[in-house]
Amino acid sequence: MLFNGCALAYSPPPRMTDIRDRQADIIVVGGGLVGSAIAYGLTRHASRVMLLDEGDRAFRATRGNFGLVWVQSKGDGAPHYTHWTRNSQERWADFAAELKARTGVDTHHENNGGLTLCLSESEFLDRRSLMERHRRDAGNRGFEYKMLRLQELRELVPEAGDSVYGASFTPYDGTANPLFTLRAVHQGFDKLGGVYRPDHAVASIAHRDGIFRVETRHGTYEAPRVVIAAGNMTPGLARQVGMEIPLNPQRGEILVTERVAPFMRLPTQNMRQTVEGSIIMGDSKEDVGFDTSTDTSVISDIAARAVTAFPILRDVPVVRAWAALRVLSPDGLPIYAASEECPGAFATICHSGVTLAAAHANELGGWLMGADRPEAIAKLGPERFHVS
Amino acid sequence: MSANWDLAVIGAGPAGMSAAMAATRLGLKVGLLDEQPRPGGQIYRNPAQPTPEVLEALGEDYAHGMELIEKFRAADIDYRPGATVWDVMAGGEIAFLRDGRSAEVQARHVLLATGAIERPVPVPGWTLPGVMTVGAAQILLKTGGYVPDQPAVLVGGGPLLYLVAWQYLKAGAQIGAILETVPRSNLWSALPHASGMLSQGRLLAKGRRWLRDLRSARVRRIRGVTDVRIEGEGAAEAVTFQKGGRRQTIQTPLVLLHEGVIPNTHISLALGLEHGWNDIQQWWQPRLDDWGRADKPGFSVAGDGAGIWGAEAAEHLGLLAAHGAAMALGKDGLDQAGVAEARGALKSVAGARAFLDRLYRPARSQRVPAADDTIVCRCEEVTAGQVRQAARMGALGLTQAKAYTRCGMGPCQGRLCAPTVSALIAETRGLDDAEVPAYRPRPPFKPVTLGALAAPAFRAKAG
Repeated sequence: MLFNGCALAYSPPPRMTDIRDRQADIIVVGGGLVGSAIAYGLTRHASRVMLLDEGDRAFRATRGNFGLVWVQSKGDGAPHYTHWTRNSQERWADFAAELKARTGVDTHHENNGGLTLCLSESEFLDRRSLMERHRRDAGNRGFEYKMLRLQELRELVPEAGDSVYGASFTPYDGTANPLFTLRAVHQGFDKLGGVYRPDHAVASIAHRDGIFRVETRHGTYEAPRVVIAAGNMTPGLARQVGMEIPLNPQRGEILVTERVAPFMRLPTQNMRQTVEGSIIMGDSKEDVGFDTSTDTSVISDIAARAVTAFPILRDVPVVRAWAALRVLSPDGLPIYAASEECPGAFATICHSGVTLAAAHANELGGWLMGADRPEAIAKLGPERFHVS
Repeated sequence: MSANWDLAVIGAGPAGMSAAMAATRLGLKVGLLDEQPRPGGQIYRNPAQPTPEVLEALGEDYAHGMELIEKFRAADIDYRPGATVWDVMAGGEIAFLRDGRSAEVQARHVLLATGAIERPVPVPGWTLPGVMTVGAAQILLKTGGYVPDQPAVLVGGGPLLYLVAWQYLKAGAQIGAILETVPRSNLWSALPHASGMLSQGRLLAKGRRWLRDLRSARVRRIRGVTDVRIEGEGAAEAVTFQKGGRRQTIQTPLVLLHEGVIPNTHISLALGLEHGWNDIQQWWQPRLDDWGRADKPGFSVAGDGAGIWGAEAAEHLGLLAAHGAAMALGKDGLDQAGVAEARGALKSVAGARAFLDRLYRPARSQRVPAADDTIVCRCEEVTAGQVRQAARMGALGLTQAKAYTRCGMGPCQGRLCAPTVSALIAETRGLDDAEVPAYRPRPPFKPVTLGALAAPAFRAKAG
């Protein structure tokens, strides 16, 4: 007898799902924000789109998402990435409205601009140089920004602390609730006739006679096209269909406070106030491999930075901290890959699932169904990592 | 503030106190962190100066608890009352909040003795003012000697329901009625285990006494009650229920609910220890070896947090877990006689438990709300209907249900709603309860202010 009379190990038997349709025009592997937004957009280009997702405890990066639709720090030295990000940002308002109309789910998208706080004069000067490089790289598209000293900053956010030196502001930045966005995209996908299958972690993908056979614990699914958007699981699956996707998973930690009266009119790069009133803060970078446990010293650093930025937060209780794995390529930019060895197979990894959701839903479908690769992502293929 | 212990015990209930004392006797350097200002846990929740009336109402078991507490206080244990543990790391570091500051200790072995929590009873109207749990009512009685000044209606099942009714009687409070929701068919599944109960003479005598006293005080007991609802505008005014094919109503401003207790697995789940589903008690419990040790080295669990066994068993389990930890740390010189005695006592408690668990297994309708508009997550005000919709959309567990609905995202982190949400998901998707994965709590286990987290002393230690 066991010490505490515990029932024997319970492993639920696989259940047969509805097998009415094991075939699709295209299968998207990965039900996080990236895969879901792509699948949602594909419903305009294909009639049978299937989205395979993992079970309840997958390494879900969407959960670790901070909820920023963010432009101002993206793409230093990589203007094509800044452009891609801005494409998505410009589409976000319509995307949010479309999701709301289709599903009734409010993504809480806001676009009031955003701040990056600088705690010293040297940080402030570095930031100004970065903003200036962005403006130069933007060319005709233009790039508006303002550098605010503490006094000007306080006109926007009066609660900024005395240790804050200043901030950069751009009007492009905003926020959206990542979980509501995920839910809206899932519901929208369902309404558009897509087939969502949870608990279908993909074990392997084989390619034969132009058909991809996707193995799950609930059996095999088939399609002539497959998109792998499985976050940190992407490289292993992509390799099976002839694509090398380099990846450095990074752990990000996030703290959430109790609800407080609204005071942050604008989000900062690592802190925002939700519509409900909670403050979300995060943005730590630790390189720890596949471990999603939290680390107390990192939590403490995030808290210290928050209290420095906004001393009024000192007595606000944190109700939750969590870690999720960020999906990062070696240069931090997304990867959009098409397999040469197995035509019809695609793979993507991307760190900014919320920011890029509108582009993913609107600009990739044609390419994935056979049209040319969009010019905007021409430089975002995995070829850039190949040493020639 | 920082310390290095051989064994850190979390929780000063009977299991934690007993384990800490036994481990000290085995030569370990022991520290104990407890959230309450005084030792005793929920069961022996200890008023600073209990009046004779309160002691009389609390009964002889409580007197036993007082003795245990005295011995505990005399033992050589680094006891830290008022310490709210908010994080436990895989390497045995424990972060806790005390006097508004966060601090950290390091232990070679960690024993969780965090006891039980009451099972949520999400019947329509359960969130109205004037509705509370029987356990909360008992805390008021124990700590402040508070009893209601109007007749309360007690609804549910399980020994605590009768105990509190009896304690109210002793304390001079009035009881409107006891509505018993336990399905009558439970008796048939319990009966084969009756011999185990009969061997527990003292326990049986206690129960008999409660029921006899309630009867002679003419307290109304209504058995086989179903479809309980609490009604009222802005506060509880009446409880209505189905009995014998018709609907009945009892006017009352105070309704006390209880459907038994479940292990408080918040920290053991957060640590990712392996858990198994207990289908009789209907909740998860950590999977442990004969010495209370979990699958991850360096962690043990004892007492009700490992499965509901009650206060008496908790002391024995605590002693065994102390031995388990001592062995894991390479100590010899075990107390063979003490271990044998504990194992013997546990065997007989197990017999009674098998009977009681089956007899008081709650009705499904008391665990899983039928009506879609019943709130299941109080922190975020998420209804049963919203959870059902999330489950239909593909939420296979609490993680995804949380993502869809925000349920379990408030200050309690799902501690209070997880049993209900899991059961709703299982029901909607046609799964067994055990097929819905347990929730995964995150630090901080209890809310901690940003200021405390950012404290420089703490950061230096943690870094």
